[in-house]
Amino acid sequence: MSQSRQINVSKTGVPTIAIIALAIIFAAGLFVVGFDQGHIFSIAFGEQAFEDLYIHELTHDMRHAAGFPCH
Amino acid sequence: MKTSLFLIIVLISGAFAGFIHGTSNLVLVEPYLDEAINIENQNLFASGEEEDTLEFWVEYEGYREWQKGGQILAGVILGTSLGALFGIVFALSRNSLPGNNDVKKALVLAGIMWLTIYFIPFLKYPANPPTVGDADTVVLRGILYLSFIAISGFAAVGFYKLSKAFEGKKKIISLFGYVALVSIVFFAMPENPDENTAPANLVEGFRIMSVLGVSTFWIAIGLVLGLLWTRFNPNREVPSFN
Repeated sequence: MSQSRQINVSKTGVPTIAIIALAIIFAAGLFVVGFDQGHIFSIAFGEQAFEDLYIHELTHDMRHAAGFPCH
Repeated sequence: MKTSLFLIIVLISGAFAGFIHGTSNLVLVEPYLDEAINIENQNLFASGEEEDTLEFWVEYEGYREWQKGGQILAGVILGTSLGALFGIVFALSRNSLPGNNDVKKALVLAGIMWLTIYFIPFLKYPANPPTVGDADTVVLRGILYLSFIAISGFAAVGFYKLSKAFEGKKKIISLFGYVALVSIVFFAMPENPDENTAPANLVEGFRIMSVLGVSTFWIAIGLVLGLLWTRFNPNREVPSFN
């Protein structure tokens, strides 16, 4: 005759998938706010993106305020 | 650990702390940015590149309002980004952090990360307002700044790992090791290559407000993540049926 027992298992390890997801978010966010000079939009708009600098201009004030080199 | 709960807590904490950072900057930093950009405008008028007309100022004010809104959006993006890093480090080091609750532990970690990946790099490569900085050197300055952050951050992790090999008071050897390494790197790395010709009181005031703004972020992320972790505890025991 089979018996069912409940055991409380403490799973405190950090899931690898969560670390990978957060690492990607960290790198992407840091690049957008701190370092993009038209690179991201250049994927869609080509060389013109390096002239327009939309992300650079949008993040301009925070880029200065957070200590990143801006221009 | 509940993966989805962990991710939600971390991302909400980062985004909220970033929102606070961006909003704080509207009060702390924006007056200095406006002053610095006005110097740039006067230089444009003097060089003849732009004319001091009503049309110019209308366009300028609209543009600056858009950038000030971007300050908050960028704060949320940067906050989510740094919050993601903070969440990883907190989850991995939580059991080793001092403090008898998660809020204290998170604040201690926020203080350590503020010092190692923000303030020490800031002392070497301090923030500058507009009018300071040559566009031709922006890539070099970005590489230098990011390199120093990475060296200081990885050195902190490395010497923390090393400290586990020591017992009791000998652990302080790791702290001295970190200080020695970062000091060598501090003096060995090249200076910011750009000449700073902006008024000293503008630059100094901007830098102080910049530090206050970023410090606001690190305090907020420690408090919010610590509180959310206490409330929802993604580490809680998972029932398993055998």
